[in-house]
Amino acid sequence: MSTQEISLEKLRVRQPRFEGIESGHRACLGCGEALAARLVTEAAGPDVMIANATGCLEIFTTPWPESAWRLPWMHSLFENTGAIAAGMESALKAQGKPTKVLAFGGDGGTFDIGFQALSGMLERGHNVLYVCFDNEAYMNTGIQRSSSTPHAAMTTTSPPGSERMGKRHLKKDILSIVASHHIPYAATSSVAYPSDIRKKVRRAIAIEGPTFMQIHCPCPLGWGHEGAHSIEVARLAVQTGLFPVIELERRELIGSMPIREPRPVTEYLAMQQRFRHLFAKNDSRAVEELAHIQALADHNIKHFNLRGEGADALDSEGADTVRRGGMRRS
Amino acid sequence: MTMKLTRSGFALPGTTLSYRTGTWRTQRPQHLHSAAPCHAACPAGEDPQAYIALLDEGKPRQAWEKLVSANPMPAITGRVCPHPCEGGCNRGEYDSPLAIHSIERYLGDLALEKNWSYPVAVQTSGAARVAVIGAGPSGLSAAYHLTRMGLKATVFDRVTEIGGTLFSIPDYRLPRDVVRSELGRILATGIEFQPNHQLGRDIYLADLQQDFAAVYLAPGVMQSQDWSIDGVTPRDLHQGLQLLKQWGDVNSLPEMKSAAVIGGGNTAIDIARVLQYNGVKTHIVIHSSMPDPNNPLEDDMRAIPREIDQALEEGVQIHTHHGIKRLILRGEKVTGIEIVRMRKLRNEKGRLHRVAFEGTESILHVDQVIPAIGQVIDPTGMEKLLRNTSYFKIDAYGRVEGHNDIFAGGDAVEGNGGTVTEAVGNGRIAAEAIAATIRHQSLPSLDRGAAVTFDKLNMAYFEHGERAEQPILPVGQRTCEAEIEGDLTASQIAAEAHRCFACGNCMSCDNCWTLCPDSSVLKTQEIASDGSHYVFDYDYCKGCGLCANECPCGYIVMVDEL
Amino acid sequence: MLKALEGSQAIAETVMLCRPQVVAAYPITPQTHIVENIAKLVANGRMNCEFVSVESEFSAASLVLGAASAGSRCYTASASQGILLMSEVLYNIAGLRVPMVMTCANRAISAPLSIWNDQQDSMAVRDAGWIQLYCADNQEAVDTTIQAYRISEKTELPVMVCVDGFTLTHTLEPIDIPDQDMVDAFLPPFNFARALNPRNPISVGTLVSPDFYPEARHSHHHALLDAITDIVAADADWQELSGRSAGGLLAADGPDDARIGILTLGSIYGTLSAARDEYTDLPSTRLIRLRAYRPFPADALRRACEGLTDLIVLERALSPGYGGIVAAEVHSALAAMDSTPRIHSFAVGLGGRDIPLELYRKLHDTISSGEVAPFSIIDVDLDKLPMEDRGLGRAVNG
Repeated sequence: MSTQEISLEKLRVRQPRFEGIESGHRACLGCGEALAARLVTEAAGPDVMIANATGCLEIFTTPWPESAWRLPWMHSLFENTGAIAAGMESALKAQGKPTKVLAFGGDGGTFDIGFQALSGMLERGHNVLYVCFDNEAYMNTGIQRSSSTPHAAMTTTSPPGSERMGKRHLKKDILSIVASHHIPYAATSSVAYPSDIRKKVRRAIAIEGPTFMQIHCPCPLGWGHEGAHSIEVARLAVQTGLFPVIELERRELIGSMPIREPRPVTEYLAMQQRFRHLFAKNDSRAVEELAHIQALADHNIKHFNLRGEGADALDSEGADTVRRGGMRRS
Repeated sequence: MTMKLTRSGFALPGTTLSYRTGTWRTQRPQHLHSAAPCHAACPAGEDPQAYIALLDEGKPRQAWEKLVSANPMPAITGRVCPHPCEGGCNRGEYDSPLAIHSIERYLGDLALEKNWSYPVAVQTSGAARVAVIGAGPSGLSAAYHLTRMGLKATVFDRVTEIGGTLFSIPDYRLPRDVVRSELGRILATGIEFQPNHQLGRDIYLADLQQDFAAVYLAPGVMQSQDWSIDGVTPRDLHQGLQLLKQWGDVNSLPEMKSAAVIGGGNTAIDIARVLQYNGVKTHIVIHSSMPDPNNPLEDDMRAIPREIDQALEEGVQIHTHHGIKRLILRGEKVTGIEIVRMRKLRNEKGRLHRVAFEGTESILHVDQVIPAIGQVIDPTGMEKLLRNTSYFKIDAYGRVEGHNDIFAGGDAVEGNGGTVTEAVGNGRIAAEAIAATIRHQSLPSLDRGAAVTFDKLNMAYFEHGERAEQPILPVGQRTCEAEIEGDLTASQIAAEAHRCFACGNCMSCDNCWTLCPDSSVLKTQEIASDGSHYVFDYDYCKGCGLCANECPCGYIVMVDEL
Repeated sequence: MLKALEGSQAIAETVMLCRPQVVAAYPITPQTHIVENIAKLVANGRMNCEFVSVESEFSAASLVLGAASAGSRCYTASASQGILLMSEVLYNIAGLRVPMVMTCANRAISAPLSIWNDQQDSMAVRDAGWIQLYCADNQEAVDTTIQAYRISEKTELPVMVCVDGFTLTHTLEPIDIPDQDMVDAFLPPFNFARALNPRNPISVGTLVSPDFYPEARHSHHHALLDAITDIVAADADWQELSGRSAGGLLAADGPDDARIGILTLGSIYGTLSAARDEYTDLPSTRLIRLRAYRPFPADALRRACEGLTDLIVLERALSPGYGGIVAAEVHSALAAMDSTPRIHSFAVGLGGRDIPLELYRKLHDTISSGEVAPFSIIDVDLDKLPMEDRGLGRAVNG
């Protein structure tokens, strides 16, 4: 059998997928957001235009003079992604061009400071897919609490101490709020399920009108775990019920990724330093918080009907059961 | 040359490629092809993971060719092997182990049906010649592997037909036509067979050493051990193995109403079941216990557990932890035996010895006692070599102690478990060592490497699925002729192959390629130098370890770079 | 074509003639009528564009930024609080060198809350990097809006067309609305070199390190200064086409021998001009109305002030704790003259305070002593001050 040397450069160019984000970006080791953005642009293809909020994704992909993006991309400000995207969409519509507009923002730029612009964009029915990369805090500025930060999580602005047990408030239910705008499609997904992300992106892009995706992205630095464990942590978030993977059309729940074997929340929380105060010895507050979080998970499982049917274990639709030769389920 | 700003500071696409984030690494991912536990456990050295992969890819012929690169008789072993591969299969810790045994049988039968050629080298006229004593599984395996590597093998046996002890296994376990068919095809690869040649009578070891480049001894253990109880033996004593051969050859047995078989190996079980079929009320008396993972190994019966189960189903009574104390004779014929509870225990020196428990005696009314306690080598023609030992002592390559050109394997070797698979394995290892020696090459490594353990795999990507079970004839339908255990269908086999975790080897699932946040795993259509379809781009890989953690097969390891 | 129109209506019709593809609308007094009129034009099929009613001024500016970045000519209008709210975006637009035109219907800034005309809003964002042009009347507003698109798209600098709220926007007067052919001849199709395009996928709005940031600012600053040429050329070309000038960089009128000058921005010029005609007993006065405020036309201003002994800078804004904003810049520009006039700085008409003709006399009286008058809000009525604030201002600003 003959051997031949192939340069990596040549190999990179003939990868059988669309590469929207190139290597060489400055994301941390094991960054969930980098992976999610790569998967989203891969599924979206080259005929898109991106409006990106200020945040980790924007910073680590565009250190001038370099850019990792292979797509037309614009960063304006922190709080106006929805409006920038709406403007792009209006222009492209006026020009009669079919290019799809994508809006990218973190949880800070979507749940908090960018909330108004998002709401306006959704209400006016712009043909934009808004993707929120949810790593549950303002990570780029050094891990501060956002309204997406889960209950009891530690951040620099919600540290635990003698008077506090991490974030007091609950995680904002952005999906219900977004769906209440009566948009045709809103969904959550997780980097633990790359096939699910791609499928949902394609589904959303095919819809004419405003669509929204919230993708759960672990942040090793902010959540306190090894980069190598990002997928494992993300998977546990789903399997505990703390991060339901669901789809809403208008306001109706039309699909959810079933959890065949729910895992106790402690398995998920114990993997992350941001919850380590919940495992303090002889702290009744910690015990209470753990029970609270388990109750939240149980509530989600019931409310979103997350228990699957059938004899086979593991999540079915969207699950990433591997097959020899790279064929996934979806 | 000073870099120039662009108006508004825009950047060009994909230019981060000029910044090599590979410098951030403190550890790097590497592919590590480890032995799958099935490969590590197989006495013949088969790599089931490798051939099951080919089967799963829809290439049964290549799968068979890979299989027979180690074991040329899968239709046989696929019926009689105790399959330690299944015991080691990591899938057993998830739901149920792969039915490797059935897959092996399926491939073997398919090859017989389609008459696939064995992948052997073309023989050249000046090829070195090697003598093989014994046309049983070990001898034929050695001869086959020698032929595979381009040497010329001549097999001698004192009987007319090849097969050795394989014909002692009853048809309901191993049909004769399967044996003849498969062994015949092995012979047809270019092995010379000299039947009716007895060592020490027709041929002599010293001559063989002169005329051939090496000698492989696989004479089996054809001699029954002397057996008596307190020096007493019945006049019409029949040894278990002899009865099986007689049954196999001429389909007849001596008259008896009931029998006690002494012994706990496969021979004891086989003869007991044959007798039971033929209407003889049969008992087995053995000082071991039923096989149980909680027991120390030396306490277990040596027979294959499913054979024991089937014997019990068929009505054989097994008296474990018992031994014979006394024969009850009328004249020289047995009318019964006195058995007593007995166990093999370790004494103060740590050596095993039989201990009978006084007060637990009982009587079994039988008119035959059939010892099946094991055989020894018939030393004819090999007396000097054996020097009064019962078995050959060999090194890891099969060389008989003190000799460079005499090798041995099979049942005749000390420490062997007595399985066909081990015999096949011995033959291969010896053949490869012989070939290397003759060609003045270094001896092949016997180290298969550490097997991949279950904790190195990632179960998140596999769905549960129970293994397909072989159809087994219900007791009422069993005869002595037809096979009791059936085949799996082709679709069941395909489903089984699909369940393989591919431990320690890449199954091209695309996980690493899909999950790298830095797009630093590149996929290749060609096979890369490490045998996989993926290449790490170390210019950009930050060493985060996600790929290693999410590899379902334990194929990627992180290696420190500092 | 001459029509009797409210100022905002005229501006709306003018915007239509410029053929923007995207218009962002958010209501705020006193520009609301502009976007309402545009809405009617769209609804009646006279104007073909994407008309987007956004949910705040921040989004209005962002929407047009996105639209222009995607390659479309666009428009929006705001005032007062809205200008402040969108200020972050204004800096962003200018820094990204994206061409666009916005009307600022000048209005006072809260607090105190006021809906009436002054120029604190556009003054507050003078450093955002936009071209700012101030219109003295509604005809100038119409002509300047058209010219603004050409200037903006040529220089890649956004243009804010400042039009006094209520005073101009809500005043009905005969205005010559140009016809479509004239505007089409004057404005080439929108063609932005760095428009986003999947066929040329650049990344816009990146993080720029200290190694390059000063260079970006240098380019921007000098682009603004160089825009003076384009502002002059646009007005000259428009004059040739339409027969009208919109005021160039600035316009000075009065006898050559006048020794007193009054500098203003916006519509107050009309009042002063009428007053000058009325009060013929007062010394000759040159009235200078500044149209281009950013870039600041220092050369033209110096030439316009040749021979003056006194220059009154009258502005409708102030920098609290300092004094006159425009006055300070005028000071610095005129310092280079061989003979600098005395510069008197006053704020007037804040919060929409009516500017009577009598102001003209008062100004002359105030400077007649020959001393430089200190900065003051010249029309303040000290009797109306709250009790606790009487006695303030004894420390005269330096």
